[in-house]
Amino acid sequence: MEGFLPWQWCAVWWIIAIPFLVIGVIELRAMMKKDREYLPLLGVCGAFIFILSALKLPSVTGSCSHPTGTGLSTTCFGVFITSIIGAIVLLFQSLVLAHGGLSVLGANMVSMAIGGPVAGYAVYRLLKNTKVNIYVIVFIVTAVADLVTYIITSLELALAYPAQTGGIAASFAAFFVIFAITQIPLAIVEGCVLALVFKYVIELKPEMIIKLKIFSEEQIAKARGASGFLPGEVKA
Amino acid sequence: MIKNRKLELITIVAILGFIMVFLSVSSNGIYEFAGSDNVGSEKIAELTGLSVDSFTPLIPQYEPPSGEIESTLFALQASIGGIMLGLVFGYWLGQRKVSQKS
Repeated sequence: MEGFLPWQWCAVWWIIAIPFLVIGVIELRAMMKKDREYLPLLGVCGAFIFILSALKLPSVTGSCSHPTGTGLSTTCFGVFITSIIGAIVLLFQSLVLAHGGLSVLGANMVSMAIGGPVAGYAVYRLLKNTKVNIYVIVFIVTAVADLVTYIITSLELALAYPAQTGGIAASFAAFFVIFAITQIPLAIVEGCVLALVFKYVIELKPEMIIKLKIFSEEQIAKARGASGFLPGEVKA
Repeated sequence: MIKNRKLELITIVAILGFIMVFLSVSSNGIYEFAGSDNVGSEKIAELTGLSVDSFTPLIPQYEPPSGEIESTLFALQASIGGIMLGLVFGYWLGQRKVSQKS
């Protein structure tokens, strides 16, 4: 929403976003140098952010919004690399689509490419070593990353536009209804879709998930067992 | 080998449920299904007392001249993603096939 944030706030969000991008670039370069075989997985994660953030879906509240698709990348590569992919998508949208814009890019990055993934990653770390099924983890990570993105958007707008009565809290509530409530059904569907994609990644490239230490061999074996493969049956 | 397709089923059910909810919400015709961005813009206009049009980008930028062109560009974005996806999964499937043969 270009033009709707005063320049002071644009600057604040840019300043918050930049360190994440810098670390992201450093991490990305280190990863590329070490092993290029992760590149395809990065491609899949990026592809889904591209696809899902282009789909404006209708929701129960009678308005449309788009999912973010950052959950898969957050699970596989963490916050910083996700912030780079997210930033590329947002840049594309602000340059050719007038969806967002250069000055609010900082704010959009903080919500979609950073805030959502940070929350998702926190959930991932919390659930990683529990007995929860890994597909369920991906589902929750994705849904949380999506929802938090829009909660932060609401917060960004509320900070810039506090209501005359009730201040920031009141206008946060108003924006929350517009953005976050709309997002709930989308987040659920998105979570299912990305969990399914993760299942296919695991069926084809389980060794990559193990090597990146995303999930342990036992967790994957268990999940694959549940999806019809006997552990060891498809050892490439 | 019978594969367990539980996750696929859940996803299909979720998407169908989503479509059903959309159809029932849209059938009564009171909603316009505008983007939440636009709804948000109106809210800002309401809060500040300024009209939506008075907010202009701080940095001048390209704006698609019509909804048609905008939808093309969004489709382009999605197709870039789709191509990348097909490429990678195809690559992995091919890799698996080769490694199974040897």
